Formats: sequence, structure tokens, C-alpha cells
Amino acid sequence: MFECGVRVPAPGSPEREVRVSGFAHLHTASGFSLRYGASHPERLAERASERGMDALALTDRDSLGGAVRFAKACAGAGVRPLFGVELAVEGFGPSGVKEAGGRRRVPVRGGAFVDDSTPRVTFLGRDGARGWGDLCRIVSAAHGGEGPPMLPREDNRGDGLIVLLGADSDVGRALAAGRPDRAARLLVPWREVYGDSLRLEAVWHGRKGTGPGSLRLAARTVGFAAEQRVRPVLSNAVRYADPGLGPVADVLDAARRLVPIGAGKELDSGEAWLKGAGDMARVAERVVEAAGFRRDTAYRLLEQTGATAAECLVDPEDDLGMGTVHFPEPHLVGAGARTAQRALASRAVAGMVLRGYDGRRAYWERVHQELDIIAHHGFASYFLTVAQVVDDVRKMGIRVAARGSGAGSLVNHLLGIAHADPVEHGLLMERFLSKRRPVLPDIDIDVESARRLEVYRAIIERFGSERVATVSMPETYRVRHAVRDVGAALSMDPADIDRIAKFFPHIRARDARAALEELPELRKLAGERERYGRLWELVEALDALPRGIAMHPCGVLLSDASLLSRTPVMPTSGEGFPMSQFDKDDVEDLGLLKLDVLGVRMQSAMAHAVAEVERATGERIDLDRVEDGDPATYRLVRSAETLGCFQIESPGQRDLVGRLQPATFHDLVVDISLFRPGPVAADMVRPFIEARHGRAPIRYPHPDLEGPLRETYGVVVFHEQIIDIVHIMTGCGRDEADRVRRGLSDPESQGRIRVWFAQHAAAKGYDAETIGRTWEIVEAFGSYGFCKAHAVAFAVPTYQSAWLKAHHPAAFYAGLLTHDPGMYPKRLLLADARRRGVPILPLDVNVSGVAHRIELVSESRGVKGVWGLRLALSDVHGISEAEAARIADGQPYASLLDFWERGRPSRPLAQRLAQVGALDAFGANRRDLQLHLTELHRGARGKGGGGGQLPLAGGRKTAAAGLPDLTSAERLSAELGVLSMDASRNLMDDHRAFLDELGVVSARRLREARHGETVLVAGAKAATQTPPIRSGKRVIFSTLDDGTGLVDLAFFDDSHDACAHTVFHSWLLLVRGVVQRRGPRSLSVVGSAAWNLAELVELRAEGGLDEVAARLAEPVAAPAGDDGDPARGRRIQMPTGYEMNPWADLRPAGQEPSQVRKLWHQSPGSAG
Amino acid sequence: MTILCVRFQLPPTREAALPGLLGLLEDFTPVVQALPPDAALADLRGAERYFGRDAVELASVIRVRALAHHGVDCVIGAGPGPMLARVALGEARPGVTCAVPEDAVPGFLADKPVAALPGVGAATARTLCEYGLDTLGLVAAAPLSTLQRLVGVKAGRELREKAGGVDRGRVVPNGVSRSLATERPFTRDELDPDRHRRALLSAAEELGARLRALDKVCRTLALTVRYADRSSTTRSRTLKEPTAHSAALTRAAYGMYEALGLQRARVRAVALRAEGLDPAEQASYQLTFDPLDEKARRIEEVADRARAKFGPHAVMPGSLAA
Repeated sequence: MFECGVRVPAPGSPEREVRVSGFAHLHTASGFSLRYGASHPERLAERASERGMDALALTDRDSLGGAVRFAKACAGAGVRPLFGVELAVEGFGPSGVKEAGGRRRVPVRGGAFVDDSTPRVTFLGRDGARGWGDLCRIVSAAHGGEGPPMLPREDNRGDGLIVLLGADSDVGRALAAGRPDRAARLLVPWREVYGDSLRLEAVWHGRKGTGPGSLRLAARTVGFAAEQRVRPVLSNAVRYADPGLGPVADVLDAARRLVPIGAGKELDSGEAWLKGAGDMARVAERVVEAAGFRRDTAYRLLEQTGATAAECLVDPEDDLGMGTVHFPEPHLVGAGARTAQRALASRAVAGMVLRGYDGRRAYWERVHQELDIIAHHGFASYFLTVAQVVDDVRKMGIRVAARGSGAGSLVNHLLGIAHADPVEHGLLMERFLSKRRPVLPDIDIDVESARRLEVYRAIIERFGSERVATVSMPETYRVRHAVRDVGAALSMDPADIDRIAKFFPHIRARDARAALEELPELRKLAGERERYGRLWELVEALDALPRGIAMHPCGVLLSDASLLSRTPVMPTSGEGFPMSQFDKDDVEDLGLLKLDVLGVRMQSAMAHAVAEVERATGERIDLDRVEDGDPATYRLVRSAETLGCFQIESPGQRDLVGRLQPATFHDLVVDISLFRPGPVAADMVRPFIEARHGRAPIRYPHPDLEGPLRETYGVVVFHEQIIDIVHIMTGCGRDEADRVRRGLSDPESQGRIRVWFAQHAAAKGYDAETIGRTWEIVEAFGSYGFCKAHAVAFAVPTYQSAWLKAHHPAAFYAGLLTHDPGMYPKRLLLADARRRGVPILPLDVNVSGVAHRIELVSESRGVKGVWGLRLALSDVHGISEAEAARIADGQPYASLLDFWERGRPSRPLAQRLAQVGALDAFGANRRDLQLHLTELHRGARGKGGGGGQLPLAGGRKTAAAGLPDLTSAERLSAELGVLSMDASRNLMDDHRAFLDELGVVSARRLREARHGETVLVAGAKAATQTPPIRSGKRVIFSTLDDGTGLVDLAFFDDSHDACAHTVFHSWLLLVRGVVQRRGPRSLSVVGSAAWNLAELVELRAEGGLDEVAARLAEPVAAPAGDDGDPARGRRIQMPTGYEMNPWADLRPAGQEPSQVRKLWHQSPGSAG
Repeated sequence: MTILCVRFQLPPTREAALPGLLGLLEDFTPVVQALPPDAALADLRGAERYFGRDAVELASVIRVRALAHHGVDCVIGAGPGPMLARVALGEARPGVTCAVPEDAVPGFLADKPVAALPGVGAATARTLCEYGLDTLGLVAAAPLSTLQRLVGVKAGRELREKAGGVDRGRVVPNGVSRSLATERPFTRDELDPDRHRRALLSAAEELGARLRALDKVCRTLALTVRYADRSSTTRSRTLKEPTAHSAALTRAAYGMYEALGLQRARVRAVALRAEGLDPAEQASYQLTFDPLDEKARRIEEVADRARAKFGPHAVMPGSLAA
């Protein structure tokens, strides 16, 4: 009956029980089918192995993105992976017929239905690399068109593919509709294209009727297959690994279709799990029986399924290209007709001469040694490729710097990739690449963030879009998104959903219930958790499932011309760059060369600052040639007023530079290395500072080790030092020493290394005590330290930014505000600028540019002029780039009418400009200006509100209309609303009187406070963090700005019950705490109580001090019974070996301070 | 101090009780103007003398009676004119009648927000606030020409007068309630158009029956769809001829619903309101030669009688019975 030599059992033969050893699922969706599959590929592979299957296909919807993880998981689980994809396909019929019925009316509310009615078909890769190439090609083709992905008719072919026509295909639908004649007609073109590779897929999910998943449709499919002589296969159209996950699939369906559960479509059957062989055999029996065959025919059906699986031979190693490397062809990277190695060597030599190293023997030896290593691995093309990219970027006038261990290579330095001289700074090539390290080396380059996409375009242009693709980054469900999607699916009240979602810090979805139990700031929510029924369970089930795919912010794939047959590519949503569906880890496994091009906002900010200085003064600054050792710069760094400086602006870093007191570039390198989780955890900071300030003697385990350790006073800080120590003690060579260093983080290999180390060191004649002591150091610090090459690469922009801040403060702030780097909100930078005496000039349409600019304020004072910072049009809320550019181009404007006509601002924009005083030049009263603008707007629309003619008084000035002007508080509120900055004065100034009443200590006066004193502080919250802490406790760090300076706060666990919620969810804070001093410039306040200052201010204004007193008298939440540790002693063991509180290192709940656009109160009359 | 503005604290589902409550006010004065959905103005100029009590005392009497007879609490504002009474209502609480004395009007109004003024809707209030005119005192002080530029010539003049305390309005008796409403809530987010239509059918049937029971016809039908996010859409349609015929109301409701074209909107309730009620005997009725319409009306009449005898659920459209 079934085609291809499957014979019908002879009549009268005894009925046999179907016995099968395994079953291969050919149709399986994982979580990479966005909002469709409910299980991760790893889980599927694991379950397949447990249920005794020896092959499993992964056929995600529209994506191959899960393939690499799946292949790796399968290799681990001992299951043979099959690769495939499920795509929406364009029908073979004449185009235009599919548009049945007229266009539906556009809904007034709620939006239209998400249309996923296009027929879908499953494709499996069959013939090795060809099959994989075909899969990549059809996936890329499906994403090539507009609208949702759909495989166009002309691309629907491929010799390496097997096609499964299931219930969702056009043929299946015709069968479901009871139209075998139509199904036969629809089958013809499929058969023409795919011939023998066509299969009909029967699925039984126990549904009623004749729709997908019904027994009748499955039987019809099998019968139709026999009739048409097409081979049938049995599948289970798997969506989740385990039974009982049907409700999760329902939630995903609801999230995909943006409707609540159960609207329009029936619920998931609960059967679409990865059933074992026995279950599937029973399904097969029922299906063939229903189709009218004898029961033992089921065996044939299963055999066909197995045979199809056997045909799908795509090998992850050979065919996906895992483990092999593909570089761009040499002729594209400037090698011409030569080999890449020779081109690289000659460029390196040219670099030696150019930089004047040609007379120095050490450099020559290093170069030859490095070139040798590179030739050993055949990586020359890689170096040339990176050099080519860097050259191109530099030619475009974009600041570029190398970061990462690549800075340790002299060849990189000679090619112009890395800025710092590795020989001078003692950086090692072995940390980057050695003969014993076969992994792909990794060079990252930093470019200006504002021009990152330009760089991408240049790379694509240079190498061609068939060799370049960006890397994707799956956006996965975390708790907030999961709450939103599940809530919407369960028809919860949108206001409730929003409130619950915002309660949570940014944690994993699977921790939702644990967080409810443990986190003090969620206690209120925990009280009402029962109300929401199944919400929590479903939220946790969505954990880490991808919900979208975005472009990774820095990775670019560079390969030879075969890239497109090795990776599926889709266009990115915004810019239309080709983007691989694989993420950065997959890409490494696939052996694709990835270049990390990081957009660094600080580079943009510095470029802007330099450009501003040149525009305004004509002075050209070359930051890369600024001499080290500038006293003013180091004075600034030592004062710890380093807000805005690269890498040293966080509260912890400000504290550290205050204690460390850097005086040279090398000190900066050490400072940056010390402020890492590892060194902080290993307590390397204190001994270093003690030794540096001569409070503790410098000790070396052995005089031989003085060389590597002298620079850091005997404390091991850098990876390079460990490499050197191991090399000196054992004489094993630095490349081997690096391998040893890597082994240290693994406790298993650590034991072996210890023995090896002791033997070799003893052989070199070191005594046991020295060996013991050295090993202690190696063991303790080995895996914690920081790569010095990284730190040197970081320290360069650190020094440059600090230099700018010291010498060109106005331009520095202009750059920072324009490109918004760093962790603090813009208003804080503005407050810092004000404190450092940079005049802030208000927004003015006649003077302000698109970006922040500097302006000469007064030349009379002293010799040097004072430069002020002019606020930018681009910071106005809702302004478009085109509008800002048009307004700036049209300057100057003679009158309001002139501005309206030539600047052509939209009405809301013009109103905002008027509110913040950008139009003050045209008339004094901002409200009157607004009225005139409204009338101009009406006039422009031809309605003629006030007669079309502007009442003018005195020529250019606009006549007064007698409206009340904005009050001072309203102006401030408008500035915050429109610019997100309090531009005219610090917002805390308005509360000075109230704060004085309370006896609040200002940040400036706090510097004189004694250690241990209890104080009240207040201010606007600038940043809140819960970083990982050595003690394993969860500590909330926050910074307040009160106009006179910054106050750094710390809240320890014992105060969380009382404070956490207030600290996370209020913007203005009043805090009672104890002053803690650790040095002359190191000071913080340990909080014990916190109030929402905005609330208190309002109470003060409305009800006077008594109301405030009543509020302060309210009891705070009592601490929970135990020691106040929310995690109840639970700790996460970090790979670096130290313990972390499970709730640390998260983005906390509450609004980002930079997002706050509203003042604490909003009177009905306030603008904005 | 002779005009009262009474707001009955009716839950939204009991809107239909307003006519009965108006009857309560009519015990005191014939000059009662309904302000649907839940308030009314009453002119007590004659009543004060008749009952020998002043308006504030009468207000207490009204509240007591409303609670005693109907179990409905109310808040009452009193003032020399209808506008002032309505502004005063904003200040009143149950049991505390807010009265505006005639000689203190400007002072009373000065620090009220503009939105407190009847006739100043959300849009006008927003416009005025945008320009800093957020209290009535500021509005009264602003130049007339500026106000007229802001809200229009006529509206500007009226606004300024009202803000200055000049109350030219009077209470216009308009008989009983001018509208009837009914609402069909859903237990969860409902997207199914069939369910929506069924709810509309049932609501239209109910409205028709209630209209016929009152011997009224309605001129306009308004549809309100409420969504999960607490927003709503309202559409109203003037009927071809005033009617109380359920089929005609259903047709109009369906027409408005279809025009919304809802697909993914999460509907939590649909509400219908019959507006512009007139006595049935005054309604015109276009006769046709088509016997169908005639038959439908006769069936309706019979059904009404059956319902009167056997209860409201005795006869209903087939699609609702399922």
C-alpha cells in the first residue's frame, strides 16, 4: 500500500503487535520558535535521551537559531540531531487568490488580529552540507521579504531538503476541509519540486472533529498518502518536552497572537509533548486503524518515519562547520597576490620602522616570535582583517581603540590596532595567543558609539554582504516581561499587571516566587499573591524562553564567501543589516570569525569635546598625543571628583581613587584592575593600599619574583604576573604558564597543577617553604586577577577623559551631555558642572545648536576666558533630528513669527521650547508666547483663530496677552519635563528651608562630619545598585545629589525591611544614617531609615510640620523574624570562587532616575 | 440660595432609578431639571415660603427622604443660581450641604479650579490650565480678549461672566428622565464578536421592553464599549424615526458595533443608552406595505404581554435562550 516497496501483509497473516525500539520525532519546536515552543532545546535533547530515542529533529518556526545549542546538547545526551525548520510558505497557486474576502475595517481600538494563517510546512535538511546550506538559504529567503517571514514560491526548492506536509500545510487544510480532490490538486506542484523527498505528516493529539490534531484528519492523511503514493510519516508536532505544559503553550499562543487565552481558538490539547516510542506506537495503531488498515500496518508507518529520520544526515561537525575557521579571502585584506602571512610580516616590519623600534633588538625578537605563533595557527588573515577594519574606521575620522587581550600583541600594535606599546607596559603575547592555545583569539575594538552603525556599513561595504553579518541576541523572558505577557493572557486588569511588573527587580522569571518570599521590598505584593492564582507558576514556566531577537550591540561576523550557506541571515528591524540568527556563543562554536566592534559612548563624548574646542577656539587637541603625567589631571583624579570620567566615576571607584591616590598612568591601570569583582572579593585592595602608602612592608615570596611583583608592591593584581611567577618558578615557558593559569579556576585541575608546580619548582631549586608560599598566592589570586592588557586599554580613555575634565571642562560636559555616557542621569552631570564653576547657559533657539556647545562667557576675568555650556536642542523632549537641524540651520530668528515660519517646529515642540524659555528672546512672558504659538498654529491650518495677524508691539517683541507667567517652580518643573534636567538651578534648592527645619546635613558639610555620627541627609537619587559583595550579603548602594555635592549611601540587610521599597521606588529621599569614614576622602552614610522626601514636602506644604511629624511617627515595617538576610543564607557560588547573595547584582526595581521627567508634585496649572 | 443641586449616589447599575428620585424632588417644587445620569436641579423659590424653611433645611429633608424612601444617599449644593449650586455641589459631602451666600460669590469662586465650572469640560480646562489660568479667580482677572483668543469669542465671554459669578441660568423643568440605560458586563476579557452581539441583542431587548412599559420612544441610541484598561469608546446614532421597537434598536446597536471594527480589543462590558425620550403617542411611524414589520411588532406586543404575565424571561430571542 505505501509506496517504495512496502508490501501489504499477506491476507490472513496473524495480527502482530507493533514493537519498535525507538521513535524519531521529526517535527519539534523549541523555545527558539518565538512565543510558540515552550521548552529549551537542551531540555528536549535531554528528554529524548531519557525516553530512549536515538534521533531528534529540531524544526523551529522561522529560525535555525537554536540549532547550535541543540547540536551541543544532543552530543552531550547521546542523541543524533536532525536539523530543520518550519516555515510559512507562499502557495504554488496563481498569486492573488489567497486574498479571500475584502479588507477588514480598521479597528477603532485594540488593533487587528495577528495573522498567522499562512500555511506552514516543515523542512528537514537531508544531505550533509548541502542540506544545511539549503536550510540556511530558505530561512534567509523567508526573512527577505516584507511583513512576517514567508518563503517565496521561487525559493521553495532544494535538493538537500525533505518536506513534511502536515495539518497546517495547504494540502493538510484541504484534507481537513474534506476535500481530497483539492488536496490532490495542491499536491501536484509539491511533488514536481520535491519528488521523492515529499512526506505527508500525520499527527494525532486526541482532538475531536476533523481539524489539526484530530484522529480523522490523521487517518485521512494516511489514507491520502497511500492513494497518492506519497510516503506518510507520524509525528507529534512537539511544542514542549514534558506532559502538563499545555497551559504554558496556551500562554505563548496568547502572547504571540496578542489576545487573552481562549479567545477565538481552542486551547492546546496538552498532547504535544515529546512522547516516547511506546506512546507513539499506540498513536500509530489508532491512526492506521482509523484509516481502515489493519493494526500491524502501524509498523510500516513507524518504519517510514524511522527511514525518513535515517535519511536526514546533517553532521554538526562536518556540515555545520563547527570547529573549523573561515577567514575572509587574503586578497580582500590587502595581501594582493601574496600569502596572508607574508603580507602580515611585511606590514609588521613597516610598523617597526615607522614607530622607530627598528634599532631595538628586544622588539625584533618579539615580532619574530609572534609572527611565528601566528603562522603556526594560520591566523594571519585574521590580523590583516582586523587591521583593515581599523584602517578603514580611522580613515573615516572615527576614534578607535583596541581593547582586550589583543593589546598584549606587538604585532597588533605595529599594525595600528592597539594603541599602547605592549613591550613598554609589560604585556604578554601569551595571554592573547600561544602555540598551546588553539582557540580563536579575540580582538575587540572600541569606536565612537554615535558612529557605530557607520562602521558596520563600512565593513559591509569593504567585504561584501555575502561575507558579513551582525550577530543576534535572543531577548529572553525575565520576570517583568513574563508577568506582563502571562497577565495579559489571563485577562488580568492592565493596571494590576503594570503594578506587579514594576514591583519586581530585574530578576529571572524562575525566581519569581522565591523573590516574593525573600525580598523585603516585595512583601506587600507577597501578601496578595494568592489573588493571582496561576500567574506565578506560568511566569516561572516562561523563564529564559526567547521572546524576540535583536541585533547584538557589538558582534560582527566576518567570513569568506561561503557565509550564507553556513548561517541563516535575516535583516535587522531598524537598519536592515544582515543579521545571523545565531548568537555570539553559537557563532564561536561554528568557527565564524567574530570581530567585536563596541560602540563606546565615552569615545563619542571625547570626540565631541575635542570638536567643540576646535570649533570655538581653533585649538586642535590630539588626545592620543596628550603627554602622560599631567599634574592637573592627577590632581583631579586624586580629589575623587571624577564624575563622568571613564571607568572611575562609580561611587565605589570614587572611593577607591580617593584611597589609592593615583599619580601615574600605571596607578590608573592598577586602580582599574583592582576595581573588579575578583580582586574586591579576594581582598586585594586593602593590602595594596597599605603597601602603597608605606603602612605595610612590601613582601615577595622569593627575591626572584621581585621582577614581576615590584610594580604592584608585592600584591598580585594582573594575570600577567601569575604567568610570570609560574614561568619563573617552573621554567615552563609563558605559553604553558598561561594554560596553567586558566586551569586554576577549575578545582579539579587545580589539584593536578599543584603537584606539577611543586615538582618543577623543586627541580629548579626552590625550597619547600618558598614553593608553599608562592603556591598560596598563585592559588588565591590566580583566577581572580585582571588581564593587564585589558586594564591598559581601559586606562587610556580614563586618562584622556580626566585630562579633558581638568583642562576643558565646558567642552567635556558638552560631550558627556550630548552622548550621555556613564551611569548617572544627565541632571547630575549638570549639577557637577555647576559645582565646578562651568556656567550653564539656557536653551535659546537663536544660539543653541543641535548638540551641546561651549560658549565664551567672559574674557575679562583673568587671562583665560570662562567657557560656558550652552544646552542643546536635541535634549528637548520629542524633538526629531530633522527638526533640531532645521532650527539650528535657520538661526538667527528675528521674531516669533520668523521662527515659526522658518524653523517650522511642530506645535507641541514650539510649546515646549516656550516653556523652557528658549523663545524668551521674542517676548518676556512664556505663557503669552504659548498663546501666540497656538494662534500661529491655528492660522497655519487655515482656521484663522485670532484674525491670522499677530498683535505686535515694538516691532520684534511679541505683544503681551496678560496671562500669568510661569512661576519659578513651574519653570523648574518644565525644565525637568522637557529637558529632563534642572537647568536653571538645582531642584533641591527649593526645599532648602524645609531641609533646614529638619536639620538635614548638606553634602558639603557632611565632609566635616565625624565617623559614627548619626545624620540626616536628603537629595535626588542618582543611581541605585545592588552589586555583588564580598560578604555575600545584599547591600543597596545609592547616591544622592543635593546640589552641594554627592552623598553615597549604603543600606545593609538589617535595614532592608524598613527602607528597601522606599529607596527603590522614590526619587527624592530623606535618609537617616551613620557616617562612615575610611580615609580623608572616603566617606559614606550607612542608612537606617528612609522616607520619600517628595511626600514629606507635600505634607509640609499642605499640613505644616505637624503632618510631617505624624508621618515620621508612623511605625516602619518590622524586620522579619530572622537575621534579616532575605536569602536565608542561600548563596550563589560564582565561577571565580566567591559567594554571592542570589539577589545581588540585579538591576533594581523602580524607575531609572534618568527617566524621571516629573517633579514631585504637579499642580493643575503647572506646565508640562 | 434658592436653587439646589442634588446628586444621588447611585451605583452605575441603578441608573434607571433616577425618575423615581426626581419624583421625590417634585414633592417640593414643580421646577425640577434632571441632570442625567444621577443628579437634578431644583428651584425652591416657592417652596421656601410654602414650607417655611430655607433651602439648606429643605436639603436635609430631601436627604432624609431619599434615604428613607429609596435607600439612596445624596449630596446637595445650594446657591443663588443653577451654576453656583452645581459648583457648590463639588464642595458638598453627604450630610453637609454646601451653600453659596449671594454676597460672597466671587470669593467663593476665586480659588476653585476651572473644571469645577459647569460647561467647562476636560478640553477647555486643559487649555486654560496650559496657560496658567487654573483657578476661576485668574480666569476672571484675565483680559476678555485673551480669553476669547483661548476658547473662542462666545465661550470666552460666557466663561468670564461665569467665573465672575454672574449666573444667568435658570432651572428648566424637563419632566422625567430623558434617558434609559443598561449595561452588559463580561466576566473576563471578551474578544468574541458573537458574544458581543449577543450582549447587544439582550441589552436592546431590555431597553425596548422598558421603553414600551413606560410608553416612551427614543430618538437616539448610544453604544458604549468598555475595555480592560478602563477606557471606553462611545458612539451614538439618531434613529430614522423615534421608536421603542426592539428590532429597530438592535439593528442600530449592531450597526454601531460593526462600525467599530473591533478585533483584538479586550472588551469588558457593552452598554446601551436610549436618549431623547418622548411619549409614544407623539411618535411618528412610517407605515409600509411590507407585512413583515407589522408582524414583528405584533409578535413583540404579544411577547410583552407574555412577559408581563410570566416574568421577564418567559419570551426571548432564540439566540439568547441557548
